[in-house]
Amino acid sequence: MKTLGAIAVIITGALLLYASEDFPSWGDPHSPANQYRVSSHYVQNSFGETSVPNMVTAILADYRGYDTLFETVVIFTAGIAIIAILRGPIDKRVRLRLASERKMRETNLILAQTSRILVPVIQLFALYVIAHGHHSPGGGFQGGVIFGASLILLALSFQLQTALDRVSEKKAVTLAAIGILIYAGIGFVCLLAGGNFLDYSALQVLMPVGAIEARSHGILGVEIGVAFTVAAIMFAIYANLSSHGRMKGGL
Amino acid sequence: MADQYPAIILLAPLFAAIAVSLLGGRWGSVCLPIVLAALGLSLAVSVALLGQVAAGGEVVYKLGGWPRPFGIEFRIDPLNALLLIVVTTVSLLTAIYSIRAATTETPDKLPQFYTLFLLLVTGLLGMTLTGDAFNLYVLVEVASLTSYALIAMHSKRAVLASFNYVIMGTMGASFYLLGVGYLYIKTGSLNMVDIGEILRGSGLYGSKTILVALMLILVGLWIKMAFFPLHGWLPNAYAYAPSSTSCVLAPLVTKVTVYVMVRMMMTVFGPEYIFSFLEWSPIVVWMAVIAIVAGSIMALAQINLKKMLTYLIVAEVGYMVGGVWMANETAFVGAFYHVVSDAFMTLCLFLAAGAIIFQTGKHTIPEMEGLFRKMPWTMVGFTIAGLSMIGVPPTCGFFSKWYLISGAMEAGHWGYVVALLFSSLINAILFFRIFEVAYFPKFDPQEESAEEETTGRAGEPPATMLGPLLITAACLLLIGIFNQEIVTLIRQAVNTFGPIGFIG
Repeated sequence: MKTLGAIAVIITGALLLYASEDFPSWGDPHSPANQYRVSSHYVQNSFGETSVPNMVTAILADYRGYDTLFETVVIFTAGIAIIAILRGPIDKRVRLRLASERKMRETNLILAQTSRILVPVIQLFALYVIAHGHHSPGGGFQGGVIFGASLILLALSFQLQTALDRVSEKKAVTLAAIGILIYAGIGFVCLLAGGNFLDYSALQVLMPVGAIEARSHGILGVEIGVAFTVAAIMFAIYANLSSHGRMKGGL
Repeated sequence: MADQYPAIILLAPLFAAIAVSLLGGRWGSVCLPIVLAALGLSLAVSVALLGQVAAGGEVVYKLGGWPRPFGIEFRIDPLNALLLIVVTTVSLLTAIYSIRAATTETPDKLPQFYTLFLLLVTGLLGMTLTGDAFNLYVLVEVASLTSYALIAMHSKRAVLASFNYVIMGTMGASFYLLGVGYLYIKTGSLNMVDIGEILRGSGLYGSKTILVALMLILVGLWIKMAFFPLHGWLPNAYAYAPSSTSCVLAPLVTKVTVYVMVRMMMTVFGPEYIFSFLEWSPIVVWMAVIAIVAGSIMALAQINLKKMLTYLIVAEVGYMVGGVWMANETAFVGAFYHVVSDAFMTLCLFLAAGAIIFQTGKHTIPEMEGLFRKMPWTMVGFTIAGLSMIGVPPTCGFFSKWYLISGAMEAGHWGYVVALLFSSLINAILFFRIFEVAYFPKFDPQEESAEEETTGRAGEPPATMLGPLLITAACLLLIGIFNQEIVTLIRQAVNTFGPIGFIG
């Protein structure tokens, strides 16, 4: 079996090398990917068409917003999948044993105090990253991950239960579902307002702005949806994996 | 509203999945009505969309209102309109079946089960609808992740089988993504139609990168559809999955992936590149011949009923790949007709197997004695499906084999004809062996009565299991009887496949 694997790897590697012979040279401004009308259209028109200075955000959340909706669904699915596989019925005996384990664990004073100061700052920064996706690198995915990390820090420096008291697993799943609901819901409102699915310019009938500004606001809305899902699922996955799906004890 | 049909088909299961995960934890009883309503709506709209496509030709739906090639679009021609109906019908029937099956197999995780189930259907529908090569990858991920979880929810063995599937499936998806990346390097576009036009227009046929891109995409899709010898993950994953999971996965995942391969071959690379420039048709058809023979022989070696059915899927994938790659219109029509009919045949067999295992708790063929007497209607469904697999008229299996064989004869590929006949013969042996075992009760009457006492549940399965089974069996006959109409639709799509079209 190992030889078979090695042969497959060698063949694949040889094919990849063979293909690279035909590549445009590195960083070539005349390569098809740089020259073709898709990328040049984005570079020249994305601000004019979406009123978002950050081109990456404009492509991610508007031109290819449908992809991003399903990337968010992928994250949501991963969370639900881990809960569905790991989460078992907790029987009383395990619960008692875990409760006694918990008493033995002590929180480190320095860790606890430091994270007590850090967590609010991290969360504030996360909100900034989410909101500032229009102008600088950032957006829902990045901000959501930072927010989720703050909850994980809480669980690491205190106990898993400390973090779960604030965001229980059920609440996390609800928040994640609400995130997708926000994203797909904005898309659906566009559909009801007379545009196609995710055509944010149709939102202008609901806002006192023009079609292009409406796109910009729509993008902010879906970024917030993404942030909800990413933050909640990050934490739910950590909570399940670190406690073998028992939601007690933790690392 | 009619121009929003493509979006509604996809959004109904997506919103239902959100609703189930939001409400299911608190009020478990709302899950099922939501699932059934969403899938029913999706099915109704798919039927309306097929009517639209059949009357007015290709439908394009621009997501976000962005025109090709800047945004993502749905493209619906008769082929995927048909497949949309297949996906929604199969998932609706499985959802009805799962009313009893899922509540016994995964009782404490019903909301998660239905959320994942609906997301799987969303992923499959999205794969069918999309006209964007990268977007396809995203939806493949949605469909794969949900299948891994749905398989692993059952037992320890299922977890192991699912892990195997995770590794293989991720490799397949990565190959596909790498291939799309190579296409992007050479064309700068992700829209399928646009890539196809650039490949044709700017003389990229001789490019090594495009050749490797085609190989990577094909290998990736072949892993995903379990084309022999890349089928290793399939038998265990489908055999040990919960029965309502295998009922939706087994008929749909391989068929939708075959459709994706057709889309890649016909829209992205184009028949003239694959059939005239590369001339790969004979190589792949011979690979399909090996797949058919190997799948059939491995099925013959199984005594576990569900395991046997999974190896038959491997053989059937060989039928479809061979038919598509025959470079012949009749064979292509046969292959796509087989995509439709095989989805229902597989569903019927898995529903019947699930019902038998649910009632008797027995998994192997020798233990099926006397089933015709204990559960006659279930066995009627099983028999129709079995006859269709063998290819007895007027079931749909006969017509798909008819088109496939006549196409292979037109193309002069006798190896494929022999393989198809050989596989039908093996299917006849397999199913008549089961019929024989199941028709005759155990010889010792005392032993049988003792056995009935111990098993407890004997007789027909509940109506929610029997109903979908019999509807599916009826579909097999209907698809067979209305084969002319379906074939006309498929031919309508084949005519749009480019200037050279098919050889022969």
